[in-house]
Amino acid sequence: MAKVSNNVSPESYEKLYAMLLEAISSSVLLIDEDTRIISTNRNFLEKSRRSLSNTIGHQLKEVFPPIIFDHMDVKQSMLQVFEKNQPTRGKQMTYQVPGLPMRVYHYRILPFSRDGVVEYAMLLMDDVTEQVRLSEEVRGVERHLASVIESASDIVLSTDIEGRISTWNTAARKLSGYSFYEVKNHFLFEYCTSDHQEEVKKAFASMKTGKGSQMFELDLITKKGDSIQVSWVLSPMKDDSFQTVGIVAVGRDLTERRKFEAQLFQSQKLAALGVMGGGIAHEIRNPLAISSSAAQFLMDNTITQEFRKECAEKIQTGIKRASIIIENLLRFARPSEKGEIAQVDLIHLLKETLNLVKNQARIQKIETTSHFPKKPVLINGNGSLLQQVFMNLFLNAINAMPDGGKLNISAKIMASEVMVRIADTGHGISKLEVDKIFDPFYTTSPVGKGTGLGLSICYSIVKQHLGNIEAESIDGKGTTFIVRLPIL
Amino acid sequence: MKDKNELVLIVDDEPDMCWALEHMLKRNGFLSKRALNGQEAIRLMESNRFRVAFLDAKLPDIEGLELARRLRDIDPGIHIVMISGYFYRDDNDIQGAMSEGLIKGFIGKPFDHDEILKAIKL
Repeated sequence: MAKVSNNVSPESYEKLYAMLLEAISSSVLLIDEDTRIISTNRNFLEKSRRSLSNTIGHQLKEVFPPIIFDHMDVKQSMLQVFEKNQPTRGKQMTYQVPGLPMRVYHYRILPFSRDGVVEYAMLLMDDVTEQVRLSEEVRGVERHLASVIESASDIVLSTDIEGRISTWNTAARKLSGYSFYEVKNHFLFEYCTSDHQEEVKKAFASMKTGKGSQMFELDLITKKGDSIQVSWVLSPMKDDSFQTVGIVAVGRDLTERRKFEAQLFQSQKLAALGVMGGGIAHEIRNPLAISSSAAQFLMDNTITQEFRKECAEKIQTGIKRASIIIENLLRFARPSEKGEIAQVDLIHLLKETLNLVKNQARIQKIETTSHFPKKPVLINGNGSLLQQVFMNLFLNAINAMPDGGKLNISAKIMASEVMVRIADTGHGISKLEVDKIFDPFYTTSPVGKGTGLGLSICYSIVKQHLGNIEAESIDGKGTTFIVRLPIL
Repeated sequence: MKDKNELVLIVDDEPDMCWALEHMLKRNGFLSKRALNGQEAIRLMESNRFRVAFLDAKLPDIEGLELARRLRDIDPGIHIVMISGYFYRDDNDIQGAMSEGLIKGFIGKPFDHDEILKAIKL
């Protein structure tokens, strides 16, 4: 208690303490050894709706309802206070005056001693109803939030600012097989494939420097040793003063989506085959016609030995040509196997794909030119999916030029990536449309001509290869698609 | 039977295709000249008199049907037969050109030599 200066009289002290006693929001009761009430304050009288005269001199038992009195175990507490001169520990009790809402009190009994002898006990009671209600409410909100996170089928985890895991939900445990105690204080990158670790470290580091959300896909290694494709979103967790204090990571298992995508990719691929149909038929029926003609010559016994040889050669050449076309087609049509990631020479892949569409281009009077680096350009990827991307882009370009034009394909190495440009001189795409072309089912083709899936599939495949795809277009002048892929 | 000395024009961008047709015609007593594109065909038309022309449907510089029209402009009496791996006989374009009289016949690739001979003799 604050020290009162010396020039204050004892009467003043008394008055001051009385004032304080009346003013405080705690109930105070002074009790003698027989649990008789010696004195009390206004707060108690108001709370208990009693008057001073029917309180002072009464037994504590008479003032409190019996249940409360028994609950308070006053006898034991008084013994402790009077004999041992020790205050009791703070306890909580609920108290309800009939007709009023239930109140929660926090109470303690303290010895009031003089010269080591305990004269009275002081019962201090605080109404903590509101605090209890608030803390229960907070606990309720916390429980609700926890159950939201626990019920989510996505991985939800949080880390400290350095990226050490500090919470880990049920989905994370189920997917990874690791319990929270196994991952606590470990870094997320420890559970990634080695080729993704740097990327994850970088993403977490950039969160520290105050960047916004980050998205990436990576393979999570489970306790069993399996790898699961997970798409992650990292977001900074900020305190009231907007300081980043941690990171929240939400991860979604991509297994199902990948399965669906694989089906989608395959059906789109077959649709692309349909588009190429005319070109393919033309391309195969020419060598067939030549071979057939040569065979008909051979059936005539009167031909010279020299001409016979020539015919056999023409047949051989024709069959080879037709079988190369079929082989390329089959390779393109074959479903791509999941996880078929290998080193791919992008230049070889581009040339092979270009060969498949060259004929379609030729019959539409489209001049194709290409500019490729002399050496192979190696990238990590699924060759079949990448071929699908370029096949789609080439066919799109060809379809944009129904009256002929020029298709230029070039590849160029720029720092750590290869940039492939597919430029046509077709009808172009308006500014309004250019933003929508990568959306699924967006198409300007007439019904039945295009599925509107080609470019959205290109986008998805390129993203899976950690690359980028964009389009530049001048309405009426042509479109250029630019695909960027990281090189090895 | 037509005069076998009458010239046949072969227009196909595939040299081996021209080779097959040339040999087949020669063995049946017909003379022929080949053109690998529309421009060459028109040039040959201007300096020769062909009775029959075999046209491919897809040429590097012009559509076969469009070339047929040009050739007819030069010589309205020319007998044009389309030989194609791109179209089928029942395609609308082919049916239209036939009923219009722009082409007198259509032969799909691959073909029997007899079909070609029959088409010449029509």
